[in-house]
Parts: sequence; structure tokens; C-alpha cells
Amino acid sequence: MRRRQGWLFLIILLLTLSIYLLINYPLQLGLDLKGGSQLTLQIIKEEGNVTKDELEAVNAVIDRRVNNLGVSESNLQTLGGDQLILELPGEQNPLAASRALGRTALLEFRTQKEGTSEDLKKLDLQKSKIEELIKLYSFAEKNLKGNEFLITIQDSLKEIEQKLNYSFNSNDLYGKLIEIKKYVEKEITNLFIKTDLSGKDLINAGRRQEQTNNNWEVLLTFSNSGGDKFAEITKSIAGTNQLLAIILDGESISEASVGSQFANTGITGGLATISGSFTAEDAKELEVALKGGSLPLPIEIVETNTIGAQLGSKNILKSLYAAVGGLVFVGIFMIFNYRILGFVSVISLVLYGFFNLALYSLIPVTLTLPGISGLILSIGMAVDANILIFERIREELNDGNTLTRSIDSGFQRANSSIVDGHITTLLSCFVLFLLGTNFVKGFAATLGIGVLISLFTSLNCSKTLLRFFTTYQSLRQKNLYLPKKKFSN
Amino acid sequence: MKLFNLELITNKRKIIGFSTFLILLSLIGILYSTFNTSYKKPINLGMDFVGGNELRIERVCEEKCSDISPDSVLDNLRVVSKNKNLANNIKLQFQNKNKLISIRTPYLSIEESNNLITNIENIIGPLNYESKNSRLIGPKLGKRLLTNCATSLFVALFAISFYITIRFDRKYALFALLALFHDLLIVFGIFSWLGIILSVEVNSLFAVSLLTIAGYSVNDTVVIFDRIRENLRSSNQGHNETIQLSVNESFRRTTFTSITTLIPLLTIILFGSYSLFWFSVSLSLGIIVGSYSSILLAPSFLLKD
Repeated sequence: MRRRQGWLFLIILLLTLSIYLLINYPLQLGLDLKGGSQLTLQIIKEEGNVTKDELEAVNAVIDRRVNNLGVSESNLQTLGGDQLILELPGEQNPLAASRALGRTALLEFRTQKEGTSEDLKKLDLQKSKIEELIKLYSFAEKNLKGNEFLITIQDSLKEIEQKLNYSFNSNDLYGKLIEIKKYVEKEITNLFIKTDLSGKDLINAGRRQEQTNNNWEVLLTFSNSGGDKFAEITKSIAGTNQLLAIILDGESISEASVGSQFANTGITGGLATISGSFTAEDAKELEVALKGGSLPLPIEIVETNTIGAQLGSKNILKSLYAAVGGLVFVGIFMIFNYRILGFVSVISLVLYGFFNLALYSLIPVTLTLPGISGLILSIGMAVDANILIFERIREELNDGNTLTRSIDSGFQRANSSIVDGHITTLLSCFVLFLLGTNFVKGFAATLGIGVLISLFTSLNCSKTLLRFFTTYQSLRQKNLYLPKKKFSN
Repeated sequence: MKLFNLELITNKRKIIGFSTFLILLSLIGILYSTFNTSYKKPINLGMDFVGGNELRIERVCEEKCSDISPDSVLDNLRVVSKNKNLANNIKLQFQNKNKLISIRTPYLSIEESNNLITNIENIIGPLNYESKNSRLIGPKLGKRLLTNCATSLFVALFAISFYITIRFDRKYALFALLALFHDLLIVFGIFSWLGIILSVEVNSLFAVSLLTIAGYSVNDTVVIFDRIRENLRSSNQGHNETIQLSVNESFRRTTFTSITTLIPLLTIILFGSYSLFWFSVSLSLGIIVGSYSSILLAPSFLLKD
């Protein structure tokens, strides 16, 4: 008897501990319950697998960029060997984030080839024309009466096509615009020669509004060696008609000449500005991307989930109602069928609920919708264990055994079935957790934890409680355990 | 105290016949779905697996939301949207008394998706952005998810098979697994049919539900086999009679367990979030089929002629 009291004491201790945990470490809710955006980023590598180092390097760059974006409580984690998951709580429109993150941000400084001034002029002219057309297109797209603009765009595009002697692969208008823009950018970049100065030589980036107009410019600060390289390069083209181009991800974002006054020393001081008529948003995105450094491998955003805050709280309430409602029904069913035993199982299920939630806040497990369904299913497992035991106890009682003996052998004989059932479910959970996506992991985690706790509560808590109840003489009448049944003894 | 007395021995043929019928029906569904539908897959794969854009957003209306036909919205959209290809591939539905709009399109960039919402707002009036739920899945990720789910499923099935082969002798393990595949095939078949008739799509939660069903089904069968094994050791009745007795002894437990598991699932189906609806349906079906196969089918295999 003393040993059992020890168990009872332990259960009460655990319950107090759980309540304490739940009060002090509230449950973490997933984005589907509190609203926000989730982006899945896929690292693109043409050949071979992404190595661990590469994954970490990409992770570090993205992490810096996210911090520079200034979203509070963002969460970045790796998934599998080549994916990253970024959660932006509260963010309803992940557009800006996706732009700043998706960019490789490979910054290059190139000098113009000699004698290409005419070519560059021609290409630059076409480029600005195309950019105008794209602007017009997106205006037309949003405008109800935009159709007439489309004809203009089509005509102008044909003209450019002939001038550049280019043939299209795409069929739709927008695709053509983007295609020719890329082509022109590539042609422009080809007019410039690579130098050894790149984004790696930066130590900082910033932005400020230009004084003469409303445009923004991005400020670059080079490291010492970078500053030297920059001086060297500017010296080599100072006073000539060759331009210095700043190229970001293959697109020339700024081209500038270097005045002849720099012919002796080059531009020293380790500072440069990129003024390419940026808007405030553009400048910020570029700053964020440059500050974080360039990505060692390009990434692609393969999944975007956005859940409105209202929808999130609705999800919580609905699932809560469903879960609590279901449990109340299960409780009624158990008490109706098993009387005192049912009552014991209800108490041990409540304990079970507390232990589960306490573990969620301790580990911590982020609670998501699939997670909640895992919890509800694990409750099914826990109830099943109780039913197995109670049915056995009942049979023992029917065979005319005493109450204490029936309880003992009921637990003992149900043991192997319960363990088997729990282990098969645990196996599935384990596999799901290892191989599954984020979504699936949430389900596997709560179901797995639930099954583990159920092994403890159903085999131990129920038994302890039953033993405790049966110490009271008035609770030891067999008909409290077996409804509507006559006994042989 | 028995609720019924199941006559397993006399009904063996009927049980096996009924299961064969269900399996045939499932296979027909799967074959029909593979060859005669627009998607040419054994089951109607949802956005999770093929990529795309799913958008749900509520309208802001005073008192009642006006009745707009999805076709008229699409017609307007065709005029407004310059991407003709997109407008022709949109599926648009109004739900919840015209309040909720749900839209499915092929994969879009975030920008294009935002444009689409703006266009729709221009056509049908103000939208409540707080209620927005949007998912964009690239086709690459979809394919990956599909292989991922299939691998998890096979690895887990293998692990379960391995475990019960060690726990039981080979004959029992084989029959438990037969019952398990019977359950999975039927649930899969039902969803093939649901895809054909109601264009219900399966997502990654469906794969999760299949795995959970596998766990439950094996669990149920193992409990009954445990009982049969125990009784066969001590019983002095005939082999078949002992099996029938064991099944009847376990009958209450299995039905009660199924009922207590079905109750919370039913509450999710009735009151839960829409994203868990088909998940709960497939689990419920799995539990019903699983209980049938572990009470009637699996023990029938053990009966001697």
C-alpha cells in the first residue's frame, strides 16, 4: 500500500509541476493559429547535393537579411538538407520580404570595354524604353480600361524587337517584356569586364535620400583592401570615356564615369554610392540584401502561406470547441459504460491532458492545426488503453474474482496489447517526424508525445487512482463496477 | 456479457466475399481515375502535390452578401486581367452564404497573386484582409512533397511489418498485414471515387491519415490476435470455436474503442476548421474499415476449413 501512496504523491507532484509550467511558459502557437506568413525557400544547385556548409552559409545570409528587415519574432529554420522555412508572425503581405530574401545579391564592379560607347548608348536607350513599357503594363493590368495601352505596348515592342534583331520564345506579352529586358541587360553586362572587386569587399551598406530630388541612393562602405581595389579600378578608367558599372545579379544598376581629377590616385576613402533612381522601398531592399552579403547559392521561394490574424483566432476557437466537445462526449460514454472505472479514466484523461500540454510548453512544441488533431487522436489511444484494461477487469469480475484481484490481473493481462498498440503508433510517428514536412512533423510530434504519456497515465495513473478509490469500503461494491449484472458469488 | 454473438465460422465466405467486393470496387475506382479523368492519376492529387495557388478570403458586406455568380466574376476578370491564360484557369467558388470566396489558380508569384486579389476586389467589392488565407506552392515543391509522403508511408509500413513479424509468428503477422493493406486500399479507393464524383482532392494530410489508419488497424488486429493466441493455449474447445469465442470476447473492446475515437473525429468534422474536414473523414473511414477488418476479416483468415 505504501508503494501506491508513493505513486499517488508522484502524480500530484507532476500535476502541480504541469500547472506551474503552463502558467509560466505559455504554449507557443503556430502561424495557422495566430496569423502571419510562412515562406519556404529552396536552395538551387545545378549539380550534386547541397552540402552542410553551403546550407549553413545560406542560412546565415538569410538570417542577417531577415534581421535587417526588422520583422519582430521572425523564425528561421532549416528543413531537410536544402530548404529553409521562414516564419513572419503578423506579416500579412510577404511581398517585400520575398523580394529582399529571394535575391542572390551578387554585387560586381565592372569596367567598360574600350570603344563600346556607341553600343552601350543604343542598348541603354532600348532598356529604358522597355522599362517604361513594363511600367505601363503593370498600370494597364490594374486599370479597368487598360486594354488600349496594351496595343501601344505591343507596337513598341515590335519596334524594339526589330532594332535588336531578337526573336522571342514567350507567347504572352508580359513574358516577352521580361524576356527582352533580360536579353538587353545581359548584352549590356557583356560590354563590361569583370574586376576583382565584389560584394565580398563590402563591410556595410546604407541608404539616404538624394538632396536634389526624391530618389534614394544606396551607400557602400568597403573594407580596407576593398577600398584599395576601388581606388585602383577608378584610377584605371579616370578621364577616359569608359564607364564603371555596378552590377547586381547580372543586371547593371548603375553606370558612371570617373572624372579626370582622379587619374592619379583613383577614388579613395573606401566609399561609393549607387544612385539609380531608387524608390525608398527599392533602396531598403537593396540595403538589406547587400548588408546580409550575397548568397553562395541562389534560392527560390517555393511555398508561401499567409494566414490572416482573424482566421487564425477562428481556427483556434473551432478546434478548441471540437476538442473539448469530443472529450466531454468521450467522458460521458466512459462513465455511462464503466461507472467508477469510467470516472477514474476521466480523471486520468484530465491528468493526461495536463501532462501533454505541459510537455508542449517544456520542449517546446509549437501548436498548429495538425498538431491539435494529433493531440485529439492520441487521446483516442489513451482511452483505448483504458477500455482494454476495464474490459479485462470486467471479465475477471464476471469470473467471480475479488475486486482487488480483478483489478490487478486486468492491468496485467491488458499490458501486452497496450504496449503493442502504442509501439506500432510510435513507429509511425517516428517515421513521420523524421521524413515528414513541417506540417506533418507537428502532427507526428503531438501524437508521439501523447502516446508516450498515455503509456504512463493508463498503466500507472489509472491503477493508482483505482487502488486509492478501493481503499474506501463504500466504493468497493462490485455493482459500482459492473452495471446490470448478477454475480455468481 | 455479449452484445451479439458473431457467427464467424458459418459466415467466413460472406466476409471474404464482401471484402473482395470492396477491394474490387476500390480497384475499379483507382483504374477509372488513372485512365478516364482529366488528371490521369490514381487519385485526385491536390495543390500540395501539384503546386498552385489557393486563396480564401471573406467579403465585407453589410448584413447580407449579394449574390454573384462565379461565372460573371470570371468574365469580368477576363476583361480586367491581361494574363488571359490565368483567367481561364481559375476556379472560383462562393461559400458560406456568398461571404467566403475561395479561389484556385495555377502557381503564381506573390505579386501576381496580390494583383489578382486587387482585381477581384475591384469586381465584387471590399474584402476583409484579416481573414485572408493564401497558399502558394511551387510545382517543384509539390513533386517533392509527393515523393516525401510516399517514402514516409512505405518506410512506416515496413517498420510496422517488421515489428509485428518479431512479436508474432509469421502466419499471424502475414494476416495482420493483409488486413492492414485491405484497410488502406479501401480508404484510398473511396478517395479515388470521391475525386471522380465530387472532385475531392487529397493533400499531405491524407498521407498522414493513411499512416494513422495503418497504426490503428494493426493495433486493433494485434489486440484480437493476442486474445486468440492466449485462448488457444488454454482452451480445450476446437480451433475454430476458440477463435470465434476470442473475437466475441474482444468485440466490445474494439467497438468501444472505435466509438471513443470516432466521437472526437465527428466533432472535428462537424465543428472543426475546414482544413481538417477531409482529414477527419478519411480517418473515420479508416477506423470503421479497420474495426471491420480486425473483428471479422483477419480472424477469418485463421479459421481452418
